[in-house]
Amino acid sequence: MSKLWRPVRHAAERLGIDRRAFLAAGATAGVGAAALVLGGCNSRGPRSAEKLLAASERWNERVERALFRHTAMNVAPTGARAAGTAFPSYFVADEVPVWDEQESGVWRLEIGGLVRRPAKLTLDELKALPRTDLRLEHFCVEGWSAVSVRTGVLLSELARRADVMPDARFVDFESFDDGYHESWDLESALHPQTLVVYGQDGRLLEPAYGAPARVYSPVKLGYKNTKYLTRIMFLPSANGGYWSDQGYEWYAGV
Amino acid sequence: MKRETPRHHFVVRVTHWVNALALAIMVGSGLRIFNAYPAFARKGETFCCYPFEGHTIPAWLTFGGWLAGARHWHFAAMWVLVANGLVYLGFIYLHGEWRDLVPRRGLFRDVWEMVKFYVARRKDHPRQGKHNALQRLVYFSMPLFGALAVVSGLAIWKPVQLAPLTVLLGGYVWARYWHFVAMSILVALSLGHVFMVFAVDPYALRAIITGGYDESKSPEERNARPFVNLRAKKEAPP
Repeated sequence: MSKLWRPVRHAAERLGIDRRAFLAAGATAGVGAAALVLGGCNSRGPRSAEKLLAASERWNERVERALFRHTAMNVAPTGARAAGTAFPSYFVADEVPVWDEQESGVWRLEIGGLVRRPAKLTLDELKALPRTDLRLEHFCVEGWSAVSVRTGVLLSELARRADVMPDARFVDFESFDDGYHESWDLESALHPQTLVVYGQDGRLLEPAYGAPARVYSPVKLGYKNTKYLTRIMFLPSANGGYWSDQGYEWYAGV
Repeated sequence: MKRETPRHHFVVRVTHWVNALALAIMVGSGLRIFNAYPAFARKGETFCCYPFEGHTIPAWLTFGGWLAGARHWHFAAMWVLVANGLVYLGFIYLHGEWRDLVPRRGLFRDVWEMVKFYVARRKDHPRQGKHNALQRLVYFSMPLFGALAVVSGLAIWKPVQLAPLTVLLGGYVWARYWHFVAMSILVALSLGHVFMVFAVDPYALRAIITGGYDESKSPEERNARPFVNLRAKKEAPP
């Protein structure tokens, strides 16, 4: 029998305390402490764990960034049916946000921040740029997925035209949906499947799905993909986001 | 008078309890995440193999409070579960305990004999070493289903960056299903395990805490089946 197997003389015995009484007291104290920790928490778990969870989120972001490859692609399963109108649509305003030309003038997509050639593109100007169609499987934070064909312009194409400066590390996607926005790491924004989308399933984007244009990439969970796009800002630092500020992961890579 | 002999090494005892805690957090938070979309069908499709599509899990079985909270717990505890599992597997490999767990020839015949004994179709407890055949089968398959849970979990965490893995499991929808199936099996085996501890061998509870076990009180010695011969007979005074 290995030496490791032999129980050492218990510390309590050396102190002249009965070993069983010591263990029983220890077990009671342990259960009591656990009850205190769990009792002091709301249904979200112990409050003391929040720091630990924040540290874990930072660690996970490092892992996700290390895993990230521009060559990793989303391919919708060939047998999968396009969701069509079964595709859920989310927005945060009270009703479907619609761009009002009477009130706000012609819709334009502003590209700014750390770029040498800022731009303000109308929908027609956007549609005149090289077009990309991708059949993709979408992943929602809730756990569902859905297939659709997305039509738009590669974000990397827009970035190239805007001549992004080297100190830009993040991109913020802003909208007219009640201040909704989400900021991304630049790498994910430049992934070859990240698009500014104006068409879905062969038709122009409908109001429920983010008309006139929205950002879309399968490398991010749904909530990172801002609909009702108004502005794309290249930034030196991250700028949070609508859901990330409320506690959802900021990186949210897929 | 001391009759106890060492049964579970310190490392085995610590990893056992860390695993129990990590698994509980993973299951609770996982069910909370599942409740955000308690179904498997891709939008616009139907799913063949889950009879409770759309029905949420009772809230008291979930952990994490809300979707984001549960995800944070899930993605934190997963590291504990995996690291702890690797320590356990590495230890039992290097230290030799794996010999008590790997299937032996005639395992299923021995399992059948144990089942017969438990349902009183056989009078005497089958001979065994450290564990009976049923225990060996369960303790050996736990890490296998654990591995399935981890692999399918990776596949649904990163269906784009780890796309080949997701494809290997049949795509996102099926990977999510395998993740759920693996979890269900782990939960069933764990509940069975806890039930048997209290119904057949409560002395094992001491062994997994302090490490010591009195072989003269083993289920084989007591001829114990669930709730039968639960306590060892008092020894005659010397």
